[in-house]
Amino acid sequence: MFDLLPHIVNGLTLGLLFALIALGFMLIVGLMEQINLAHGSLFALGAYFAMQLTGPRPPFPQPLAQAWLALPLGWRYAATLVIAPLAVGLVGIVIELCMRRTYGKDPLYGLLLTFGAAMVIEEVIRLTWGTRDYVLQVPQGVSGGFLFQDLIWSTYRFYAAGIAVAIIALVWVIIEKTPFGATVKAGAHDSEIVRALGINLTRLRLAVFVFGTMLAAVAGIIVAPIWGIRPHMGVDAVIPAFLVIVLGGVGSFWGAVVAGLLVGLCVGLSGAYASEWSLLSMYLLLVAVVTVRARGLWGKKSVLEA
Amino acid sequence: MALIEARGVHVRFGDRVVLESIDLAVGEGEFHGLMGPNGAGKTTFFNVLTGRVKPSRGAIRLDGGDVTGLSPHRIAAKGVARSFQIMTLFDEFSARENVTVGLPAFRARGFDMRRAAAGDRRLADEASEVLATVGLADKADVRAKDLSYGDRRALEIAVALAQRPRVLCLDEPTSGLGSDGVQRLASLVGRLKGKLTIIAIEHDMQFLFSLADRISVIHWGQVVARGTPHELQQNEWVKRSNLGRFA
Amino acid sequence: MTTIATTSPDAKRLITPSMLILWLVLATVPLWISRIGLYPYIGIEILIWSIYALAFNLVLGTAGLPSFGHGAYFGIGAYAFGLCQFNVVANLWVCLTAALVVAGLAGALVALFISHRRGIYYAFMTIAFGQIFWTIAIKAHGVTGGEDGLLKIARLPANFGVTSFDLADNVAFYYFVLAAFALAVIGLWRLVHSPYGRVIAAIRQSETRAAHLGYHVWLYKVSIFTLSAALSGFAGGLFAMAQLAAFPDVMSLHQSGYVVMMTLVGGGLVSFWGPVVGVFVFLIARDVIGALTNAWMLYFGLLFMAVVLFRPEGIAGAVAAVFQRHSLQSIRRQGGSAMRLLLGGERWR
Repeated sequence: MFDLLPHIVNGLTLGLLFALIALGFMLIVGLMEQINLAHGSLFALGAYFAMQLTGPRPPFPQPLAQAWLALPLGWRYAATLVIAPLAVGLVGIVIELCMRRTYGKDPLYGLLLTFGAAMVIEEVIRLTWGTRDYVLQVPQGVSGGFLFQDLIWSTYRFYAAGIAVAIIALVWVIIEKTPFGATVKAGAHDSEIVRALGINLTRLRLAVFVFGTMLAAVAGIIVAPIWGIRPHMGVDAVIPAFLVIVLGGVGSFWGAVVAGLLVGLCVGLSGAYASEWSLLSMYLLLVAVVTVRARGLWGKKSVLEA
Repeated sequence: MALIEARGVHVRFGDRVVLESIDLAVGEGEFHGLMGPNGAGKTTFFNVLTGRVKPSRGAIRLDGGDVTGLSPHRIAAKGVARSFQIMTLFDEFSARENVTVGLPAFRARGFDMRRAAAGDRRLADEASEVLATVGLADKADVRAKDLSYGDRRALEIAVALAQRPRVLCLDEPTSGLGSDGVQRLASLVGRLKGKLTIIAIEHDMQFLFSLADRISVIHWGQVVARGTPHELQQNEWVKRSNLGRFA
Repeated sequence: MTTIATTSPDAKRLITPSMLILWLVLATVPLWISRIGLYPYIGIEILIWSIYALAFNLVLGTAGLPSFGHGAYFGIGAYAFGLCQFNVVANLWVCLTAALVVAGLAGALVALFISHRRGIYYAFMTIAFGQIFWTIAIKAHGVTGGEDGLLKIARLPANFGVTSFDLADNVAFYYFVLAAFALAVIGLWRLVHSPYGRVIAAIRQSETRAAHLGYHVWLYKVSIFTLSAALSGFAGGLFAMAQLAAFPDVMSLHQSGYVVMMTLVGGGLVSFWGPVVGVFVFLIARDVIGALTNAWMLYFGLLFMAVVLFRPEGIAGAVAAVFQRHSLQSIRRQGGSAMRLLLGGERWR
């Protein structure tokens, strides 16, 4: 049992990251009643942007690039955690603009459109970076491992868990404690209320979409050293995001967090028995869950009901 | 003996009790009206009758046999047809094609993958007959989504009639119709009276009171009053709740 | 758009005039293909992917169900063909049947899990199953050859008893595939216009209404998915012969997306021939535009998004709309009605 501990820890870490991805996904589903299949690609894009920024050829004009490369990796990495999600947020704006025409139509159009966006983004990734695996460099301080109780632990996983907790807490504060959050909650409940209150629904939707994609991007950056960077890594993010909201419901913050942890644990534990196939457990779990239940543990009926 | 009856039907969605101990018996050939305010549970009751919703308690009996909780297609196959409050037509199909899909003769060939559907003269004639009943014979080849609202309402009923049902459940058939449309519908339904057993949810009191043999009033998920139109007009509760007013 | 919904005489036919014209044209392709700078193999690819896309469109266009993991069945068919050839018997008919049956079984299995749903849940389940099959294909080295694929698949001879055709040559194989395509088209055209096809179309428009008319909707959804998977697998078997190998990449989500894009851009949502048009445009774009730039696939993806946003009826739909208006204005103009026939009596959205 004790041997399972690292796997459990890995699973929980992964679970926190799944919760992070799912929160962004959920906000978009809740407010816009659209499923964004491109969410995973934005996750992937976050990882690729971060890799490019912290790598030997940052995308800045020459004098700036020199100055940038002169900084210690730790500083560059920290800055990347902010810059890369912002850049992905810009991509998110473009996608949201495209999605506007599909609001109110048969949800199949939104699905098809975001599916297309996911394909386009993956194709851009392939064209820009090729199909080989990449590695995201992380600062010395958070890499490597340490020994504790006769087991080798990965430092990075703890760091990743810590950052995930911090960002989830930040999301919670934003949703629960700020006017923006209150508006989002109201809008998710009933978009008419928001309009009646004189709030620009269009801008709100855009803001939420960008916020959601930035969360996905950050998650991508944090997961990159664990999963590696590949063009099709997006699927492995959007599937757990969907699974989390099926389990935890749309509109429940804690539902998403708990469900995320559950999914992560499932993947972590299956990694103990068949590490090659651990991601497969996520897909099997999705099949099992959707077959058995229709509504989340906490959430209300939503656009998912079909 | 009643042709279709509900006994002690109880429906809960989560914490909400939507229907409570509903008892209803409709005899063969009877026109039974259902009225009550919005949200009272009338459509839910229809959903239970037609198998769309499983009651938490209670039973539905059709011709003596228990049909509680059977799936909609099984209950439909037993002769229960239904029209919907929010129209559910096959919008891309023509009026004739809509009706054809409802015909039991067509349904029997539902898994026929080898013959052409369009060629069957007999089915086309049967469909035309049904269309003629509701006055849509001249619009048989018009696509459902291109029909006028009143014609769509008529088609909605035609599709239900195509099933050759024994029980016809009409959910707010006059909804959205002007007085001409209501007249037309009333005369159509009047022609059907006696030949079929009809249960109709309606808000239009005049329509209901002129056609129904008996009416049940449902409020807060319970039957609060029942009787002939005449009896109901005297009913205190009905009078107090404004439901007795003619539309 | 017209207010009169016509069931054209083509709907009753087993073989329509447009089919005959198409096959005739396709039969001549090997004679002139090299003169326009292409080669017979692309003809083979177009026909095989057309069968696949037509099969896929049974689910997307006819039944209105979003299947984003259909590559799994195409791939399973390819693997089944190869494995049958190596482990059972190297007979063309047996192996093609194996491709069809195994893919059909996989489809049936998946359909059992997903057919009580529609829309988003359905889409995600198809993605999940697609990923499951793809992962198995990649990881089960012993059986599938893993990422390297199942190699050394041969083009087995088409033995009809009295005579046998060697299919190793691309031109000979092209004619074999053309025959398969013709048969598939006949079968699918009839299926779509049969009572069963009507019911499926009704279910697409309103499951609720169909159920309340007495139709066992779940069973219809399971059956159409199974048929689609089986035929996709058959196309996969042909593809294994074409490439002389079976690779896992067709089963990936990315490549499952190809058939979705081709079908939609071509006009599969409104037209029987839409998928074929889409395959044609996709593969020609790949070879012609792909020769100029690596980013051709990106442009196609953007085209797909534009089609979803602005022209969901796709190419076939848009072209047919132009000609319908034409023939309404000038009924006597023979050219107009002949073009309508060429586009083969579509179902209209």
